[in-house]
Amino acid sequence: MAQTVYDPPVATYIPLQTITLASAASSVTFASIPQTYRDLVLVAVALGSTTLQGRVRLNSDSGSNYSSVRMSGNGSSPTSASLASQTSGSISTIATATTGGALQVELQIQDYSATDKHKSMLSRADQSATGAEAVAVRWASTSAVTSVQILTSTGNWAVGGTFSLYGIKA
Amino acid sequence: MQAIETVTVGSGGAASIEFMAVGDIPDTYTDLMILVSFRTTRAYVSDDIEIQINGSAANFSHRLLYGDNGSVGSQTNTYGQAALATGNSGTSNTFGNTEIYIPNYRSSVAKSYSAAGVSENNATNAGQHLTAGLWNVTDPITSITVLGKNGTLMQYSTATLYGILAGSDGTTTVT
Repeated sequence: MAQTVYDPPVATYIPLQTITLASAASSVTFASIPQTYRDLVLVAVALGSTTLQGRVRLNSDSGSNYSSVRMSGNGSSPTSASLASQTSGSISTIATATTGGALQVELQIQDYSATDKHKSMLSRADQSATGAEAVAVRWASTSAVTSVQILTSTGNWAVGGTFSLYGIKA
Repeated sequence: MQAIETVTVGSGGAASIEFMAVGDIPDTYTDLMILVSFRTTRAYVSDDIEIQINGSAANFSHRLLYGDNGSVGSQTNTYGQAALATGNSGTSNTFGNTEIYIPNYRSSVAKSYSAAGVSENNATNAGQHLTAGLWNVTDPITSITVLGKNGTLMQYSTATLYGILAGSDGTTTVT
């Protein structure tokens, strides 16, 4: 009888870089991302210096190449909406301020090194004071992703926010 | 990402699963992830999952987005809500699946967490929860307990605690 032999488990969540903000900033950038993984995961734990939304920009592309669809709940009502032809991808519409629990974002970027497909991203954004959210984002480009920039819609990310990037091995 | 501990419920069930019942969660990671496969005795298709930290059920708050049998909604409450398990009215042998993510578990600020999960049922009535949670305590997390909110964990329910180590601080590029 044929027997399938599986490789032993190996670590697949490879830490690439963490950025901890020593000063307020409107964006953080992970550059020169190695092309040796299948997917990327970015984990952000941050507060804003004002009410803001989180956005992502890949390869510094500020063209109208991002679209998204989201569902959100603020503790009393659910909402859903879509955005097209944006100059950056929406990863969180949950407002965050300097007080209360941090905004937590987990952003998955699938097949980021592929050159034959548009890039799909899944974002989970949560803040216990404002709501829970899931967003699907598309970057209309077949270029391999070499940099990831996390921006705010307005204002700055506050001091102490952490942004960690991981490579995921298939 | 490394597995720290896996606990599987034996015959007779269990009120809860406690990670690191002896000793503390290692302080060598940055974030924690818990993957849960639960079925509880609650006579309903779904049951809420609750987490307790460092032996305490206090100082929690959350907001969640849910979908359930064609309806959607959003709620807020003050316990450690962490998505869904299957209740004992779900199809036999099905278990709900949930992921709980706790970043910066050793930090000296309030701990946020997220959870996403579903109850399983081979019929139209099943559920999905997305939860934004907060444990408003500044102590490092040393132990975590996971349980069904309204029912006892049934045999073969299982949960695994993983540790995730972030990369070193790099050069910050800001604009």
